[in-house]
Amino acid sequence: MKLLKLRFFYFICLLSTLATWAQDVTVSGTVTDENGLPVPGASVYVKDTSDGTMTDIDGNYKISVPSTGTLVITYVGYADQVVAVNGQTTINAQLAPSDQAIEEVVVVGYGTQKKSVVTGAISSVKAEQLESIPVNTVGQSLQGRVSGVTVFANSGQPGSGATIRVRGVTSFSGNNSPLFVVDGIQTDNITNLNQNDIASIEVLKDAASAAIYGTRAANGVVLITTKKGKAGKLTFNYDGYAGSSAPARKLDLLNAQQYATLRNEQYSNGFTSGTFTLPYPNAASLGAGTNWQDVIFNNSAQRSQHELSLSGGTEKSTFYMSFNLLDQEGIVMSDISQYNRKTFRLNSDHQVTKWLKIGQQATFTRERNVGLGNTNGEYGGPLASAINLDPTTPVIVTDPSTRPNFSDYSNPNALMDANGNYYGISDAVQQEMTNPLAYAQTRRGNYDWADNILGTVYAEVTPIDGLKLRSQVTGKQAYYGTESFTPRSYLNPNNSTTRNNLFRSSNQSFLWNIENNISYSKLIGDHNFSVLVGQAAYVDGISRGNNVTYFNQPVNNHEDASFNWPTIPADIQAGAYTNVENTLSSYFGRVTYDYKEKYLFTGIVRRDGSSRFGSNYKYGTFPSFSVGWNLHKENFWKDNRYVNQVKLRGGYGVTGNDGVGQFNYLSLVNGGYNYTVGTSGDVTIGNTIRNPSNPNLRWEETTMINIGADITLFEDLNLSLEWYNKKTDGILQDVQIPSYVGASGAPYGNVASMKNTGFEIEASYRKDFGDFNFTASGNFSTLKNTVTSVGEDREFTNGPSIQSSAFPLTRSAVGSSYNSFYGFETQGIFQNQSEIDNYTSADGTVIQPEAKPGDFRWADLNNDGQITEKDRKFLGHPLPSFTYGLTLSFEYKGFDLKLFGQGVGGNTIYQGLRRLDMQNANWQTTALNRWTGEGSSNTYPRLSTSDTNLNFSRPSNFYLQKGDYFRAKIIQLGYSLPNDVLEKVSISKLRLYVTAENLFTFTKYTGFDPEIGGDVMGIDRGYYPQARSFMIGCNLQF
Amino acid sequence: MKKNKINLFAVVLAAAALSTSCSDEFIDKTPTAQVTEDNYYKTADDAYHALIAVYDLMRKESGGFENMIAMYNAGSDDFYAGGGSPSDGAGIHGFDHFTLSDSNIPRSFWGDYYQGIFRANVFLEKLPAIEMDANLKARYMAETKALRGYYYFQLIMMFKNIPLITQTLTPEQFYNIPQAERAAVWAQIESDLNDAVNEAAVPNMLDMATEAGRLSKGSMKAILGKVYLEQHKNTEAAAMLADVNGTPGGTSQYGYHLLANYNELWNIYNKFNSESILESSHTQKSNAGWGNWGSSSDEGNTLNVMVGPRGYSAGTGAPAWETGWSFNPVTESYYNFMQGDPRFNATIADVAALVAAGQATYSPGDQDTGYFLKKFMPTHSDLTDGGGDVVLNYRQNTYTIRLADTYLLEAEALNGTGARAQALLDAVRARVGLPSIPVTPQTVLDERRRELGGEGHRFRDLVRTGQAATVLGPLGFVPGKSEFFPVPLLELSNTLIVQDPAYNQ
Repeated sequence: MKLLKLRFFYFICLLSTLATWAQDVTVSGTVTDENGLPVPGASVYVKDTSDGTMTDIDGNYKISVPSTGTLVITYVGYADQVVAVNGQTTINAQLAPSDQAIEEVVVVGYGTQKKSVVTGAISSVKAEQLESIPVNTVGQSLQGRVSGVTVFANSGQPGSGATIRVRGVTSFSGNNSPLFVVDGIQTDNITNLNQNDIASIEVLKDAASAAIYGTRAANGVVLITTKKGKAGKLTFNYDGYAGSSAPARKLDLLNAQQYATLRNEQYSNGFTSGTFTLPYPNAASLGAGTNWQDVIFNNSAQRSQHELSLSGGTEKSTFYMSFNLLDQEGIVMSDISQYNRKTFRLNSDHQVTKWLKIGQQATFTRERNVGLGNTNGEYGGPLASAINLDPTTPVIVTDPSTRPNFSDYSNPNALMDANGNYYGISDAVQQEMTNPLAYAQTRRGNYDWADNILGTVYAEVTPIDGLKLRSQVTGKQAYYGTESFTPRSYLNPNNSTTRNNLFRSSNQSFLWNIENNISYSKLIGDHNFSVLVGQAAYVDGISRGNNVTYFNQPVNNHEDASFNWPTIPADIQAGAYTNVENTLSSYFGRVTYDYKEKYLFTGIVRRDGSSRFGSNYKYGTFPSFSVGWNLHKENFWKDNRYVNQVKLRGGYGVTGNDGVGQFNYLSLVNGGYNYTVGTSGDVTIGNTIRNPSNPNLRWEETTMINIGADITLFEDLNLSLEWYNKKTDGILQDVQIPSYVGASGAPYGNVASMKNTGFEIEASYRKDFGDFNFTASGNFSTLKNTVTSVGEDREFTNGPSIQSSAFPLTRSAVGSSYNSFYGFETQGIFQNQSEIDNYTSADGTVIQPEAKPGDFRWADLNNDGQITEKDRKFLGHPLPSFTYGLTLSFEYKGFDLKLFGQGVGGNTIYQGLRRLDMQNANWQTTALNRWTGEGSSNTYPRLSTSDTNLNFSRPSNFYLQKGDYFRAKIIQLGYSLPNDVLEKVSISKLRLYVTAENLFTFTKYTGFDPEIGGDVMGIDRGYYPQARSFMIGCNLQF
Repeated sequence: MKKNKINLFAVVLAAAALSTSCSDEFIDKTPTAQVTEDNYYKTADDAYHALIAVYDLMRKESGGFENMIAMYNAGSDDFYAGGGSPSDGAGIHGFDHFTLSDSNIPRSFWGDYYQGIFRANVFLEKLPAIEMDANLKARYMAETKALRGYYYFQLIMMFKNIPLITQTLTPEQFYNIPQAERAAVWAQIESDLNDAVNEAAVPNMLDMATEAGRLSKGSMKAILGKVYLEQHKNTEAAAMLADVNGTPGGTSQYGYHLLANYNELWNIYNKFNSESILESSHTQKSNAGWGNWGSSSDEGNTLNVMVGPRGYSAGTGAPAWETGWSFNPVTESYYNFMQGDPRFNATIADVAALVAAGQATYSPGDQDTGYFLKKFMPTHSDLTDGGGDVVLNYRQNTYTIRLADTYLLEAEALNGTGARAQALLDAVRARVGLPSIPVTPQTVLDERRRELGGEGHRFRDLVRTGQAATVLGPLGFVPGKSEFFPVPLLELSNTLIVQDPAYNQ
């Protein structure tokens, strides 16, 4: 034993000697808890050695100890007991619950802090809150559970991520997502993290807390800590659910008869000259026609998740391992909308010696994602098609000769169903809109895949009490790619493929980083100090990939398509790329001090150097400090029943954002500006400068003041209050340049400034009433975002446009919220000609002389007697003004009920579901209330093929709707079998539950779903809605 | 024990120090393969590919939805806008009805040619320092100047007042460029083209296999001739065009002569023929998809699919045309005007007649007349067998300038009078078997309408000859306004650009 130990020491640090040692004696005893019950699995070891044992099922132990040695007895949740042997041979110990366990600990950057001395604004989500809840991504785990964080799902497509914003928006074109740090690893992609592995999520919201992450912290930092094993008995856990999803809401679209009637009316109203031919002379006889939504939506999309984990260990070595399988079908065209994820994790920690600790985390994730191809785009895909396709076209056409466009069906590549009948091809609505069933045929067998391997190893050395050295090395290797087959097909005249192809792309990327830090903490009298200094290096974007396409497969279905078919070289196309890594080199430090835990101080500084910025600004320095005052620890504080604890805190800090691409400071020469020269027909590559250079490109810089308070009232009610003011300067953006400059790419510049300010409150309450336990927690946050500068050379920056609209939908201008909707204002509808004639400017000019009764009366905002682009104004913003969440849980004997809801308010959504440029597109039933004559409508204008008043093509408040919603996110009812039953079969927990997800949503929004994420939120181009799911599940532990 | 621990501490510290000592180097990265301004423009090969990027914009004549030919046709009395509906292509409908505004004029008409100008400016600044054959360098220089002149010519014809930029701009200048006087722009165009045509390194004729599509001395002079004529500098125009045309009916010093068979001009395989002076070059080989449609990497001809009849289906005896989008339907007036002309069948596809004969069907689009623009009809044999979307990869080249065009322009520059003007007119007519008629300004204009129908010339011809108000007035043309497009709205934002006052009414 000694020899082994000696070797081990030599192996680690080359030299070692042992402390003096004496004659051994054998000591035995029983360990009991505060109630006198035996404690199995308690650890008993000899102080300053690695010799130890564990108590058996009856709490008994036996150990060999030097007669002069000291025994340490530990058990999780209890205070350590230290007993000098002094020749005793029987030592019984009764453990007392430890204060340490009750004292809540908060994870901060590069360490943990007791909650009582935290001075920053940090919100937490604990594993218990996520237990058995069907969340797949961090976004879902955070949504509604913490204040100051806005989360909008990016899509209802299973496996898709979320738009997460911590305290608003700080960047125009750079990254606005928070930095994710999983067990100390800064990572880019966390959609593949198994949520069941999470022990806690901490959101560092203020700059004073986040500054330790410097250049990547301006959007807040989300620290994720995964589960670790606990010394003691092995715990096996199974948690699984299965269920089915359905769309929560469908749109009310016109049926065939209504559609035809409106089309005829539209045609008649727009008719000017030529032969008058109604598009649907027999509108009344058309009946209901096709409801394309019934074609795309699946009312019983399957979803399930199975989670197995095993954890445990000894006082010296602990481990946690898990396997998770997630399978989910989307509710839209489930054939081509599916997600499957398998994750495996092993975490272990080893106390090698009293002063050396080594640990690791390893995860493997495999994902397979089958996607629709277009989930929030007006340009095709099943959702946009279902909304816009006319209801007069049948889904399946048995006799094409009866169709007006029968020639479409004679195309050899027109698609048929299994019975040999053609999929209907609309003659009225074409362009990108296609029969969803036919479209699905062209995407069958296509999928994206990704394998991620992430590993971390750390070592912690504690040479003397209070001093800790820690080194951590991380690597992540990702492999990902796409497999697809595009058959020959003819979906409509504009969507036709005459040459099938089989495509494969495979990519790999690697990132690594290393972090070293030294920390020292010391209590001198009532003065408690700690210091941390560290150094780190990060390298990511080491990536490469290639793709290949084989055209003209001899078969035309994905099952038989293969890269093994003989293929002539002319039918093979390939591409490849190699990316240049980007690097970050950092130094950081933190000092904390408290006096009797009354007066608290934290100071942080970080210096980062990045490869992303111009030669003049490669380095950035980010300082912060915060202070706190625990009033209730003052002598003058009188203990009372009403106000139990009060902590006031405040901080100031600077953080940065480097979320822009590589080499934006350089003037790059790109290819692709091609022309065809010579008679071969071959394309010649043309190269030119894409964008002007900018050696002054630097970090976006955010400074934040945060003032907060933590208050405990009536013993059971905990409150956290925050107020912050966050200013961002030097916001990077691809400067929008006038076309005459002629560069096809825009340069980046640090041009804009923005301000976010808000108030946040988090409250939690727990009360036990005998067998009945009640817990409530809630949060509420406000956010006001104001653009303070868009650059000196202009007044605003335009946002995205929609379809063929000549006007951008949003604009960022000084004083407005980022990307606010900007457009015309309708003032009702002209009911008759005299209203048009009487709508005049001050000098009597008729403002809309061309208008006809039934057209919008546009507000002449600048009073110049005409309606021009200058008559636009801000009409609302997509960022919510407030967000909130509420969790209620009730427990009674074995039953538990959990209710969780969240909502947002004050935001606006652009309902752009109907294509403007497709006159024949179907309408929602709101069009039935259109203007048809005097007094018929004052909100929905007349329909006409010649929309000379631009009623529909001008972005206006006509399209804007309130985005407020409250959603009952989770309702879960569970039953845990009683312990006395379970003990007989050696099971420690068996809980059965039923869950309803997204059971109901209160909103006035008329689209599928008011939760619309994306870089610019709130523009609904045909958003893949979130599903309503019902699941049953089981949680088993032994 | 304690000492050993301190030793270990030292080891860890040393390791930490080692891994940090390289930070400057560590964060200094240079792009590989992605070339920067500093490491490009070094070799003759770099120069060639930079030149190609300048040529890229020649595709705009007939590439992309917002192409010049379909737009200019719609503005004439010979063709409507058409398409699927009155809102299908707001810009082209706006020009058809002369209701263009800052919000419906497509931005690309203003912006695209400036991309070519930017690339020309960059290249003209970089080229002198490139070490390469001096003769080749001089030729590239001349081609680039000529292209810049041509692009400005296109712009000044579309917009009344435009910024004149002949150097790359610094970021401080981006928003501070005012519009130039028209005279200054014309002067720059003439200066660029004169520099080009006077460059000895520019060959009279091209090596077609490798150079077809580029500018030769002949094509540069043809552009310059047009530039003079549009300014009513008839003497200079006549002289320049005479140099290009040579003896009417013969072969010019640049190898140009009229094709014997007019129909062969529209054979998609008959690219860069002897009548062709300058073409907009297209190919099926760029595999254009909807994602890059109309961009620099799309080399397909979009005009083809645009003019095809919607839902066209050929029965027995009907031509094997492909279905299209029904843009530029032929007006009744042009249909009537072309009656009896030998060029009728090459110019107008009478689909209405095919339908009446039961040989074909189609779905009438907007402003349907049953007559389509035959010269660019998408044909079955032109369908791509390559990648990308079939409708975007037609390969027909279109003529930017052809000899019959320069013949008639010279006749016009000669004020439609005299023996040479008569000979030029006669040559064009004789090629299609028509007898001589007396040359007058009107007979030249009418001949242009017949000979060049649907090739995008008519609107400018009417404006240049002062007949626009008479001919187009009934269609909505407003003299003093409709000659030019309005500046797109987004170009007015944040800039010194002011709208054409005629559009501010």
